[in-house]
Amino acid sequence: MQESEQIQLATLWFLSARAMAVAGEEMAAVQEAATGLYAQAILGFEESVCRKAKDVEHIDNKTLIDCLSGVRQLPRELAEKILTGVMMISYADRKMKPLEVRWASMLASAIEVSPDDFQRCCVNARVIASMLRPHGAPA
Amino acid sequence: MLRERTRYCLHATTSRSAGVSKQETNFQFLERFDKRVAQLAKQAEKYVHTDPDSCMFKLRLMVETMAKKLTNLQMRSDISQDLGSMLGALERGGIVPRRQADSMHAIRRDGNAAVHGSPTPVPTAMRRLHEAYKISGWFCKVIKRGSKVNLNEFAPPEPPAPLDQATKSLHGKIDELEESIEQRRLATRESLLMFGPQENVKDVTRRIIEELKALDNVAAAAGEPIIDADFVALVMAMDLEQIEEDPRHGGDSRQARREAEQQLDFIKQHLAEREKVFLAERTFLIEQRNES
Repeated sequence: MQESEQIQLATLWFLSARAMAVAGEEMAAVQEAATGLYAQAILGFEESVCRKAKDVEHIDNKTLIDCLSGVRQLPRELAEKILTGVMMISYADRKMKPLEVRWASMLASAIEVSPDDFQRCCVNARVIASMLRPHGAPA
Repeated sequence: MLRERTRYCLHATTSRSAGVSKQETNFQFLERFDKRVAQLAKQAEKYVHTDPDSCMFKLRLMVETMAKKLTNLQMRSDISQDLGSMLGALERGGIVPRRQADSMHAIRRDGNAAVHGSPTPVPTAMRRLHEAYKISGWFCKVIKRGSKVNLNEFAPPEPPAPLDQATKSLHGKIDELEESIEQRRLATRESLLMFGPQENVKDVTRRIIEELKALDNVAAAAGEPIIDADFVALVMAMDLEQIEEDPRHGGDSRQARREAEQQLDFIKQHLAEREKVFLAERTFLIEQRNES
């Protein structure tokens, strides 16, 4: 994948993740840390790609509609990884607010996942969230 | 008599020449807040030129003492007493802000390196001492709420004897290297965060909330069913063991855990390797000086 495509994809990830974190009303530090770790460890982005993806020129002009549209065009496996990561962000603070449920719902609809696939993503997200949160750490 | 470097808000700060001589200290103000921390800071200051490794030991101990005090004051009692874990918990709990946490981690890392035999150059110890000074001002405000501590400009302790040209040149190179290491660490840090350094987090957050609410209204008006919130709540409430034992999810979640663990280990290893490279670069410079 070209670097420009990677940056575009990473921008999609950061937009999706921050929408979920913001929907949770209180953005916990653990969610911030989990976002970057997931980007590098699970989605496989390089450090430089993660930084460029958050440059104003890449991310500032994109809305959540652009984000949904971008996720919809991704290969299924990649889109599910993003959905899993977004659910992980939601689990990271152990709370679920109405807007978080709505954002998850909109992403799932955009990707057109079945209820079973959505459940699988949620369970995997729960497992990963538990790994990124050190034992006993506050939300 | 030691000269006090900090004045409370009502006192005017006095200008002074650069450099702290043998009789002076930057850390006298700490005495009023925490005698142990003050003692460690002063010892570190005393050793910075003559024994920079010992300076780092003292600074590390100083940070550890601060972290323990903050943990005892503001967190649950079951936090690990390992310094790295304590700092992580304090940062995640919002007790230690990012800037202070970065400085404390830098002192912890260089203190550990010194304990494990990696030589500490004087400019590195001086840099950490300066950071410890800034952390100290913040620490006083946290442990005694309402305290107003105005720090004067840090006055670097003077060397016991004037430095020769070769040492000055080496110190310059080490300072450049330290700056470059800090830039690289900052780049790593920025890559991991949710927002970019140029972004206004408040504005972005407000915009996202507005968009989310608008989308929510549109979806609700269209009668779009939402994801089964009960299921999501159930997954959140379940123990991991239960999830993994559930025949519907066990296989996938175990596989996800294995894969994620491998990928996370890889990143952690990569970050640890980079820290080793930083240390090697620093050691190389010192060895060059020793050989010449």
